[in-house]
Amino acid sequence: MPEATEAVTAPLAGTLPASGGDETAWIRAAQHGDADAFERLVRAYDQSVIRIAMNLLRSPEEARDVYQEAFLKVYRSLHQFRFDCSFHTWLYRIVTNLCLDHLRRRKVRREESTVVETAEGTIDRIAEARELAPGADPERQTWNRQIGGRIERALSELTPRERTVFELRHYEGLRLRAIGEILGTSEEAAKNCLFRATQKMRTRLEAFV
Amino acid sequence: MNCSDVTREIPLYSYGELEAESEEAVESHLAQCEACRGELAKQRAFMDVLDARPVMGDGSLLAACRAELRQAISHGGAAGSGGWMETLRRFTQVHIPMRIPVGAMALIALGWWGARYTPERFGGVAAGVGGPMFSSVQSVEPDASGKVQISVNQVRRHVVTGSLGDPQIQELLLEAMREESNPGVRAESIVVLQNTADSVQVRQALIDAATHDPNAGVRLKAVEGLKPYANDPSVRSTLTGVLLKDDNAGVRMQAVEMLGAHRDDSIIGALQDAVQKDHDSYIRGRCRDLLEAMKASVGTY
Repeated sequence: MPEATEAVTAPLAGTLPASGGDETAWIRAAQHGDADAFERLVRAYDQSVIRIAMNLLRSPEEARDVYQEAFLKVYRSLHQFRFDCSFHTWLYRIVTNLCLDHLRRRKVRREESTVVETAEGTIDRIAEARELAPGADPERQTWNRQIGGRIERALSELTPRERTVFELRHYEGLRLRAIGEILGTSEEAAKNCLFRATQKMRTRLEAFV
Repeated sequence: MNCSDVTREIPLYSYGELEAESEEAVESHLAQCEACRGELAKQRAFMDVLDARPVMGDGSLLAACRAELRQAISHGGAAGSGGWMETLRRFTQVHIPMRIPVGAMALIALGWWGARYTPERFGGVAAGVGGPMFSSVQSVEPDASGKVQISVNQVRRHVVTGSLGDPQIQELLLEAMREESNPGVRAESIVVLQNTADSVQVRQALIDAATHDPNAGVRLKAVEGLKPYANDPSVRSTLTGVLLKDDNAGVRMQAVEMLGAHRDDSIIGALQDAVQKDHDSYIRGRCRDLLEAMKASVGTY
C-alpha cells in the first residue's frame, strides 16, 4: 500500500496561483514531468475553461470535448512553452480556437441548436432542462426561460468571432487587449468586433431593455 | 464630440475600454446632454439583461472532465513523455528479430486480458473497461506497523460498442431512457432509439417518456421520435393526451403538429378541448385552424 504523500492530499481545488512566481514554478515543474504541478495548473484554470466552453457552445458534450482537447494539447506542448506570453493567454487561445472550430463546424453542419422557437417565445432547451429543477419559482423560471432563450438566439446570430469576443468581454470580463492577444489580432480589431456584436445584440434584445 | 460620436462610443465606454482622453470627452458630453445620458442608461439596462442569462455547467460536469482528463493522460496523453505512444515508439526500435516473439506474446496477453475483463453480459458486444472514473475514500485506518488501510469506492466506466440492431445494445438504451439523474442521457438515447421505433418495446418506451418524463426537453424528443408512427392508434391517443395534459407549450405544440399531419375525426374532441382550455394563444389558434380545415365545429355545444 503506497504511503500518502503531500501531493495527494494538498488542496488543489480551483485556486489561481498565489503569485506569478508560483505559476512559473508550476509550469517549469510540469515541463519537467511533474504531474502534480500540471494538475495544479489545470485546477487553477479549468473552471474558467469549462465556463468559456459552455457559454460559447451551450452544449455539455462539446464543452467536455473542448476541455479534454485543450488540456491534452497543453500537456503535449507544454515543453514548447517559452513564456513569450502569459500561460492563461496561451491556454485561452487554445480554448477559444477549439470553440471557434466547433462553432464553425456547427454552422457548416447546420446542427440543431439548443434554442427552439415556441409559442411562449424562444427557449434554450438546455437552460430549460436545468431550470425544471423542483422547488424553483415558476414565474422566475418563465422569465429566465424567455430571456435566456432570446439571449442565446441573439448570440447564435453573431459570427463565431463576434460571439467569442463578446463572450470573453462581457461574461469573462477579459480586457480587449487580452482578447486581441488570445485571438491573434489587434486590440483595435477586437474593439470593432465588440462594437458590432453589441449593436447586433442590443437590436435583438430591444424588447427587454 | 457630438451626440453621434458619443452614441458610437457608449458601448466601449460602459465596458471601460476607451482611452483616457476619449473617456473624458464622453463624460463631459454626457454631463450636458440628456439624450446621450438616456442612451447610456439603455446600454446599462441592456447589460443588466445580459446578466440574466442562465449560468451553464455545474460541479458534476467539471468533476467528469477532470476524471476524463486524468484518465486520458494516464493512458497516453503523455505522448513524448512516457505514455503509450512513447512505449510504442520504443517498441518499434526493438531489433527486428525480437519483434515477432514480443508481438506474439503481446497478442496472447491481449487475448487473456480481453477475455478476463470483457463483461459476460455483453457477450457479442465490444466492451472496453476504463480506469477508475470517480472515487471516494470511505475510511482511513492506520495500523501499528506504520501502514495505512484506505477503503475506496470506485465507479468504473465501461465503453460498449455495438450495432443498433443488437438486442443488448437496445436493452442498454432502454435502460438509459430511464436514467433518472441525467435528462441529457435520456434525450440522447431517444434520438438513437427512435430509428428502431418499429420495435413494440421501443415504441412503448417512447410513449412512456412522452407522457411521464419529468423533463420537458426529453418529452419533446420522445414525441418527435413517435413521428413516423403518428397514424398508430396508441400513438395518436398518446399525442392527444400530451396536447391536453402536458404543462410545456413546446411539447404540446409538437403534439398538435403531429396530430394535424394525419387528420381524422378521432382528434376533433381533443382539438376542441384545447381551443377552449389551452393557456397558450398560439396553440389555441393552431387547433382552431385545424378544426376549420377539417370543417369541424370550433366550439363544443
